[in-house]
Amino acid sequence: MSFSAPSPRVTEGPITRAVLIGTAVLFLAVFLFVPLAGVFFEAFRRGIGVYLAALTEPEAVSAIQLTLLVAGISVPLNAVFGVAAAWSIAKFEFPGKAMLVTLIDLPFSVSPVVAGLVYVLLFGAGSVLGPALEDMGIRVLFAVPGLVLATVFVTLPFVARELIPLMQEQGTASEEAALSLGAGGWQTFWRVTLPSIRWALLYGVLLCNARAMGEFGAVSVVSGHIRGETNTMPLYVEILYNEYNFAAAFAVSSVLALLAILTLGLKGLLEWRFAGELAANRRH
Amino acid sequence: MDLSIDRVTKEFGDFSALHEVSLDIASGELIALLGPSGSGKTTLLRLIAGLEYPSSGRILFGGEDASRTRIQDRRVGFVFQHYALFRHMKVIDNVAFGLDVRPGRDRPGKSEIRDRARELLRLVQLDGLEDRFPSQLSGGQRQRVALARALAIEPSVLLLDEPFGALDAQVRKELRVWLRELHDATGHTTVFVTHDQEEALELADRVVVMSQGRIEQADTPARVYDSPASEFVYRFVGESSRLKAAIVQGAVRMGGMDLGSRVEGVQDGPADVYVRPHAVELCEAGAGFLTGKVDHVRRNGGRQIVSLSSPAGGLDAEASLAAQIVPGDAVGFRFARWSLYREGAPLEAAP
Repeated sequence: MSFSAPSPRVTEGPITRAVLIGTAVLFLAVFLFVPLAGVFFEAFRRGIGVYLAALTEPEAVSAIQLTLLVAGISVPLNAVFGVAAAWSIAKFEFPGKAMLVTLIDLPFSVSPVVAGLVYVLLFGAGSVLGPALEDMGIRVLFAVPGLVLATVFVTLPFVARELIPLMQEQGTASEEAALSLGAGGWQTFWRVTLPSIRWALLYGVLLCNARAMGEFGAVSVVSGHIRGETNTMPLYVEILYNEYNFAAAFAVSSVLALLAILTLGLKGLLEWRFAGELAANRRH
Repeated sequence: MDLSIDRVTKEFGDFSALHEVSLDIASGELIALLGPSGSGKTTLLRLIAGLEYPSSGRILFGGEDASRTRIQDRRVGFVFQHYALFRHMKVIDNVAFGLDVRPGRDRPGKSEIRDRARELLRLVQLDGLEDRFPSQLSGGQRQRVALARALAIEPSVLLLDEPFGALDAQVRKELRVWLRELHDATGHTTVFVTHDQEEALELADRVVVMSQGRIEQADTPARVYDSPASEFVYRFVGESSRLKAAIVQGAVRMGGMDLGSRVEGVQDGPADVYVRPHAVELCEAGAGFLTGKVDHVRRNGGRQIVSLSSPAGGLDAEASLAAQIVPGDAVGFRFARWSLYREGAPLEAAP
């Protein structure tokens, strides 16, 4: 072997690389970008007037409001649950801990339709709880409480999953240090624990929010599809679509897609920010 | 403030980490808790801090029972093994934290807190780094931030968990000297945990050697080294060799030779002789207590360590570089100083 020979290559050759990158890009284009562009194209095909009219329809406005309301209730609930669950799992030892970790993942593995049906069983006309609550004037099924319950169930793991590994890695020394310096329990939580998990928490909340707004299956079962009352945006889109009202269906879809893109944009921003912080913590 | 640990026992489930440990610490003392991992030294430190509560026994701060006092009310300055700095806070905010979280009536004004934090950073020689984040500091600097943060609450005692464990050898030596100076300047009662005997012997006023949840010896560094209270202390502190011996009618015999010392009132039977390498004198074969064969010779800085095998067991001896010793030589040896133990407990031998 002569000394001028090129050193042997460790990575793949240029052709392999081009094929791999090409496949990934083509796949993304066909399955993600083209359909997304299609949504906006269809939405605006019959002019901006029709687009705006479809969105200002009372039923559309109601669906948008309901979606924001349900997400607005479910996401904070799951943020609180996620922090509490991650805190107890990362910082305490207790019997049944492994079980709790598994249970948190349950909504990921159960079909959303099944989740919806569970609530129908629990709160439906044939159940014990449903009629009892109805007597007290609280309607769960085919109303906002049912939609919130189904959404909370489906989005339960997002925040907790994001926080558990981080909090486990961070351990309890910072909290102990705060206590030794005279801080109380709440002071320690607000000034030490929460700031050290803030980016992961926000990231989890965004993912949770994206799923809460887009959830279809579980919500569909408990909603009852009452127009202008219990239709969230995904449900409303389906109804419009079934009525061959494509322009309106795509107009509402485009709003959902926009919300999703906004969420993704925010997530990207946070990931960039969060990566820096994580790297700094690792160096620590 | 003086501390008193009174028959403290700590159990974690079935595991018993400390058995009836008692220790008195005088105000202003610098104490090292020395032991292998699992000896209970860190548990004892956490009990003093109030991070754990004893299963039984009492811990007294200045004569008052503090066993059930919350950590917030004990005013202990605790420096954690990996410093546990608040990574989202600047250095100055880390140091100011203890003052900042005080309830309204005890809290100094904002500018006073900052002045105090600056003063402490000057004390630990970190002035100018106020606005850095912990991740932008070196290990030794973080250590000093943690110390300044602990000192900010004007602690009644200063507790340090393996304070130099995560630093490289050079920084560790510098900080050791610096901590001793700081202690002498501030006069805090200080307890630190370490598994490094050199650190404990060099830095502390008194060394508390622990093993399996018990205190083996609490004494000055010189006494711990020269008069170990138990076989464990002899083995754990400093280099040592163990040789088989026997007591026959009060005489100490090793490999058939009499060591020339007597023990009174002890039953005949086997015993262990412990000796440190620097206390072994090498001589002509046949001229010492026993004769051994040289297995190998290592150079260690300005001296040589000679490993011998003898009828009583293997031992290490220190020799000057001038001594011409090669493996295979037969050499005699005798002891300038040695200790006798039976089943871990010392036997007093007199010439």
